[in-house]
Amino acid sequence: MKKNRTMILAFILPTVFCLLFMYVYPVVRTVIMSFFQVESLTSDTSAWTFNGLANYAKIMGSSGFQLAMKNMMLIWLVGGLITLALSMLMAVILTSGIRGSKFFKAAIYMPNIVSAVALATMWVQYIFNYDYGLLNEIVQLFGGEKVKWLGLDLKFWAMLAAFIFGSVGYYMLIYISGIEGIPRDLYEAATLDGASKVSQFSKITMPLMKGIIKTSITFWSINATTFFLWTKMFSPVNTEGSTIVPVVYLYDIVFGGKGIIERDAGAGAAVGVVLTLIIIAVYAIMNLTLKDSDLEY
Amino acid sequence: MKKILAMLLAVVMVFGLAACGGDTAEETTPATTGQAQTATEPAEGKKYEGVELTMWSMWGSGEPQALVIEEAAAAFEAETGAKVNIEWKGRDINTLLSAALESGEKFDIFEDDYQRIATTYVDYTYDLTAMAEAAGYADYSYACFNDQVVEWAGFLNSIVEQPQIGGVFYDKAAFETAGIASVPTTWAEFLDACAKLKEAGIAPLALDGAYAYFTFYHHLVRYMGEDALQEVAMNGGWSDSAAVTAAQEIIDFVNAGYLVEGAPDEYPASQNKVGLGQAAMVVCANYVTTEVDNAVGAIDWGFFNYPEVEGCVDSSAYAGANSLAITSYTENAQAAFDFIQYMTTGTYGQKLVDNCGQIPADARLTESVLVGSVETLKNSTAPMSWCGATNANSDLAQSFKDAFNGLYAGKYESGEAFCAALDALY
Repeated sequence: MKKNRTMILAFILPTVFCLLFMYVYPVVRTVIMSFFQVESLTSDTSAWTFNGLANYAKIMGSSGFQLAMKNMMLIWLVGGLITLALSMLMAVILTSGIRGSKFFKAAIYMPNIVSAVALATMWVQYIFNYDYGLLNEIVQLFGGEKVKWLGLDLKFWAMLAAFIFGSVGYYMLIYISGIEGIPRDLYEAATLDGASKVSQFSKITMPLMKGIIKTSITFWSINATTFFLWTKMFSPVNTEGSTIVPVVYLYDIVFGGKGIIERDAGAGAAVGVVLTLIIIAVYAIMNLTLKDSDLEY
Repeated sequence: MKKILAMLLAVVMVFGLAACGGDTAEETTPATTGQAQTATEPAEGKKYEGVELTMWSMWGSGEPQALVIEEAAAAFEAETGAKVNIEWKGRDINTLLSAALESGEKFDIFEDDYQRIATTYVDYTYDLTAMAEAAGYADYSYACFNDQVVEWAGFLNSIVEQPQIGGVFYDKAAFETAGIASVPTTWAEFLDACAKLKEAGIAPLALDGAYAYFTFYHHLVRYMGEDALQEVAMNGGWSDSAAVTAAQEIIDFVNAGYLVEGAPDEYPASQNKVGLGQAAMVVCANYVTTEVDNAVGAIDWGFFNYPEVEGCVDSSAYAGANSLAITSYTENAQAAFDFIQYMTTGTYGQKLVDNCGQIPADARLTESVLVGSVETLKNSTAPMSWCGATNANSDLAQSFKDAFNGLYAGKYESGEAFCAALDALY
């Protein structure tokens, strides 16, 4: 096919311009801003004062940021392990030919089509409620004492449980699409050779899903680092230490909060850069540890 | 043919993208100094015929306040000819305002917290001093807010729309049932009232975790004052301060069983218990009364200042406000000011009071709830901030919130243990 450079340029230019102005420019501006003392996010560059690495030193030394990072790591690690393991389990079960799999797929995916605000409200006001919440009703049914699910010690875990509930369906669908792409005759041959379901899973499914697992871990890492709405829903009036995450910390220092007028967009930009580096690091580690196979689905 | 079609599609895409961009020809440059009033010359007929005002509101469309403001805008247009366009930006308006003001976005009036208007946006706000003087604003507004604004901003740059007052809000019926004849003014009287309420089968205090920070802040301010508290919050030394006694009193209060079951609970579960008759009091700002009334039904609310402690250093009550400001680069400052006055005083000011359960912004209006709050505000000279002393340490503010919450959750055995935990944060 004859290549027409003008045509190629005509089609590519709008996208390139979009990318440059809507993505590259803000990213570059944010990185530069992170080295300056800037009060307002949109202030003119003439109002910026060079600050070296002081913004990074400030956030690294901030107990609020450290707390936020700790919470984020817990969401990433504990939440990631549970969500991805549960999603894989559901995907394997629902692709094994059980009856009613379509119903279960729809039911498990359902939380993803409900607004996250509505979902979080349901968990906070109806499931975790101390007086009439579903969980405490169940606890009392078995003769137990009511639990403060949203008390200081359990609030983070309650929030994480609710987030996992809303996330499993999404990753399950990704895994289902991967598993369904694996030729069935591989499983049939393995069954004829006497391989158990567990062996089939570990020797066929997992190796051939390496690429998809890598993608899902990257997606989860992005979800964990950009975690925001659930914290806002679980701490509706003030940001609380038990639920704070880096993006909420960033939001508070850039825009201020209830009774807080101090703003520091430079430090906020530094938080943004740190989060981006974390995602890049996770992606790089994934590429190094989970090498792409010659054969995968 | 295919080539022509492809070229056409590319052109359409380019035009489509170009259309996404705004017309910057109308952008105005913010004038931060030398504000000169350049009101549009009225055409013949009504006073502001041909004038168009744009207001950015912190309310959401359909909220009681929004309905009154819409009504006021329509009446103002009919009376003066000025058309008022209102954009409902919601509670997160503060995330939009800085960028909009810095870029000189075309709007005339905006609403936000009065402290933020006087500090964060001050360079982009109109000096209202002359217009306020001409309108006699000082005669019917609250000096505590005006003085504070002038102290922060250097000039009057906002008009109060929704004054707020903080302290203890209580169900009058519960007090009557418990035989409490007068509201407590000291901590000892407060404990006595709590004992009577508990005896009458009503939990004395409702507390949501979200407001534990604000509640204990009162107690600390009573013992230390905001300046000393800020000093400790910034540099540590809680264990050597009166915070030990303050914390111990709260621990004793909790151990006496004076918190409603489940407290500190998840907002708004606990505060709603006052409306449900399960608890008698809640420490918050006055909007708690509207929130509870809307959630579980109206009750007869009373209000008193957070009680004084022994050797009380500072007995001031919290006072704050959502206010209205005019952009420094507006072309219709007088019309904007007149609309603000039209909305916050007279018929529509009264409607804001009656329909939204708020304290009158105009002290001449009739209170519909919390009778006496106007008098309290008028007499207030140096109101307490919303946790300003502890928020001053933005690095540790989250940890303070958790620690204060933990105090009411029974996490600490003694005032010393609580203060040692706070000192360990430094």
